[in-house]
Order: sequence, then structure tokens, then C-alpha cells
Amino acid sequence: MDAKLKETILNPIFKGNPITVLVLGICSSLAVTVTMKGALVMALSVIVVCGISSLILSLLRNTIPSRVRIIVQLVVVAMMVILVDQILKSFEATYAIDKQLSVYIGLIITNCIVMGRIEAFALGNKPWPSFLDGVANGAGYGMILLIVAFFRELLGSGTLFGFDVLNWLGYTPNNLVILPPFALILLGCIVWVQRSIQKDLQEK
Amino acid sequence: MDMNTNSNTYTIIYTTIIVTLVAAILAFVSQSLKAKQEANEKADTISQMMTAAQFATKADLQKMGNTAVLAKYAEEIGEAFTVGTDGKKISDIKLDEVFSPKKLKAQNYNIKGGSGAEIPVFIFKNGVTVVPVYGAGLWGPVWGYIAFEPSSNTIKGAYFDHESETAGLGAKIKDDPEFQAEFNGENADFSTANVFDIVKGGAPRNADGTSVIDNKIDAITGATMTSNGLDAAIDTWLGAYAAYFKGVNNVEPKTEED
Repeated sequence: MDAKLKETILNPIFKGNPITVLVLGICSSLAVTVTMKGALVMALSVIVVCGISSLILSLLRNTIPSRVRIIVQLVVVAMMVILVDQILKSFEATYAIDKQLSVYIGLIITNCIVMGRIEAFALGNKPWPSFLDGVANGAGYGMILLIVAFFRELLGSGTLFGFDVLNWLGYTPNNLVILPPFALILLGCIVWVQRSIQKDLQEK
Repeated sequence: MDMNTNSNTYTIIYTTIIVTLVAAILAFVSQSLKAKQEANEKADTISQMMTAAQFATKADLQKMGNTAVLAKYAEEIGEAFTVGTDGKKISDIKLDEVFSPKKLKAQNYNIKGGSGAEIPVFIFKNGVTVVPVYGAGLWGPVWGYIAFEPSSNTIKGAYFDHESETAGLGAKIKDDPEFQAEFNGENADFSTANVFDIVKGGAPRNADGTSVIDNKIDAITGATMTSNGLDAAIDTWLGAYAAYFKGVNNVEPKTEED
């Protein structure tokens, strides 16, 4: 694999993470991180939507009239989001989780990461790198989601993926952790940790 | 590419093709998955009713899978029919027919509009009667099922669900088993418009801390709007069932079995 492609994949995971560095997709990362299961399904949905939308739009990039390119992007992303939502609703195993995520699956379309990467990358690059860029950005987003969800479910419900971890020790779940403000505090802490490791992100 | 991708004709044709294509794909997918989605919704609705009637917990029913839930329902259900707000029976509900939240929404308008309401009553073989409630929470609809002991106004159990209440606050109507358990053993008061109360600041308590058996339970701390919404939903719907319950409870003595 050449260095540029590797950079495309690795950059969104840490150095250019869409949540902690670009600060995109904050709304849903506060809303769907109450449980690990919810966060995982959301993360996978965003990876699929981001990757395939980038692929499709990269394939179409030379044919899209530039005046309506945002609308064309929107139509393709919306289609992908609806497909993901419909598929999640159709399986017994994912129906309950889709219900729990409710509007947030549909709101992936307003997630700036998806449209942002299409506009910034997919419209100017070949399909394969675009697909990888979409997947990697979705994965970078999903990784932060899972980190936040890990702490929120562990401290807020005493469980992980629904399995009892702390409750049998007599732990009293902390309700503050379940509320959205705590997710923002946690997100702030993650940004803090990243900036202290990655000095070039600090403003002088 | 030598074609002018910025000409008006090209733009119009291009967008038309894209939009039509996407619409066709979505219509096709929606049609082919519809049966599965309806089956999931049906099993979910039935398991909510069975949770209220205390046959099993919602989590256990979910683990059983759709087919087993429907089989258990077919085994346990005695009769199901719709009634009007005058308490008179209108028509039977078939075994494979459920009242999804969408149907409840339509009936909610009818109840509030004061005419044409056809609201369902589900009576299980053990005599437990389950009726739905539906209303507006803080962010979206809230609904649920309340189960009554045989021919009585004593609540056996309740289960509530919501579309988008705040996690950790309003969402507790669904996620907090303690909140739902508060309903158990309380009495609905069908003689007033205020059939059941979810009280902010605490329902009356006995000296030993247990809730007084009345038509009042504690609201959820930090979720006043959701609690009020649910309270209004319960008052509206149980109010609509008042005539039915009054009729049933007077005709059959409370001690009778079956």
C-alpha cells in the first residue's frame, strides 16, 4: 500500500479525527452514547453511509453539474441513510436498537462528517481512495463514540453491552453520566488528552 | 468529458435521472422489507402488552424472538375487541391484528375530538384486561399499556414506551422498571376525569414508606414534562374507557374467578 493511501486511512483515526480535531458530528455523539450497543450500531451505520456515499459520488464526480452538486450529494447520502434505517428495522436483532436510536439514524444525513468528506475528498479523488476515506472517517467517528459510550454505560448503568459489570459489586449507577452534558464533559476530556499528546494542535 | 456539464438542459436531465433512480431504489427496498418490518413492530407491540400483563419481562420476551412471542400471545389471549367511549363493544379484533402506535395515534384524535373512537380491549385467558394509552411527551409521542386485574380497577402492571424522550430522564418511563412497578396494585378511579395521577413532589405514603393504595404515583425527577404528558395520556385514555370499565365491574362481582 502506498504512503498516501495509508495516510488517507490513518489520518481520520487519530491525527485528523472528525470529532476531536474537526469537531464534527458532536450532536449525535452526545445523543447515542448511552449504551455501547447503540454506539456500535450507530458507528457501523455511519461507516457504511460514509464509505458507500463517498464511493458513489466519486464514481459520479465528473458527471455532476457543479451548480447542483450539493443537492446530488444530499440525494445520494439521504438514500444511503434511508437504506440503512430500513435494513436495521427489518431484522429482529437490530429492531430494538433501531427503535432506541430513533431519529438519530435518520439524522446521519445531517452529520457534517458525511457531506464534509464528500465535498472535500470524494469529489476530487478516485473511487477507491474515496471509499477508504469515507470508511476511515466513519471509523474515526465510531471510535470516539465507543470510548464515550464505554464510560457512560459503565458508570451510568454499571453494565457493558448490557452485561452486568459493576452492579453486582454494589455499585450505584450515576444518573448524571447518562445525561447528555456528561458526554460533552467526557468529549472535552478526550480532546484534552489528544491535544496534550499531539502538540501541533495546540494554539499558540 | 467533452459534454458541457453546466448547461441547463444537462443539469435538468441529470437531476431528473438521479432523483428518479433513487426513488425507484427506495420504493423497491421499502416494498421488499415491509413485511419483515411489520412483523417486528407487531411482535414488539404484543410483547409490550404481555409485559404490562406481567407474563414476562420485556427483555425476556425480546430474547424469545418474534415467532415465540406470537405463539405465546395466541396461547394466552382470551378475547380482543374494540369499544366506543360509551363502553359498548363495536367489533372483534382478529388474532393477527394489533394496535400499533400509529393506530393509537389515530384513535387519540378521535377520543379528543369526541366522536368515532374505536379503542381496543385485550382480555387474556386469566382475566387480565389490557388497554393502551397514547399521548404527547416532551419531544415526541409516548404510549403504553396498562393491565387490570380481572373485572377490577386495580392495576396489575404497566409498560410504557416513547419515541424520543431524554435518555436518563423522560426515557425512564420505558427504561426504569421501578417506575413501571409503581403502578402495580394502585387503583384507577373511573368516577372522575382525573382517573390516574402522576404526582410531582411525591404521592401519599404510608408510615412504612410504601405507597398508599390510591390513584397516585410519584413522577420522575427531572422529567416533569414527560411525567405530565404521560399523566394526561393516561387520563384521556382511561377516561375514554371509563364507561366500559364501570359496566364490566358492576356486572361481574370482584371475587369471581375466570
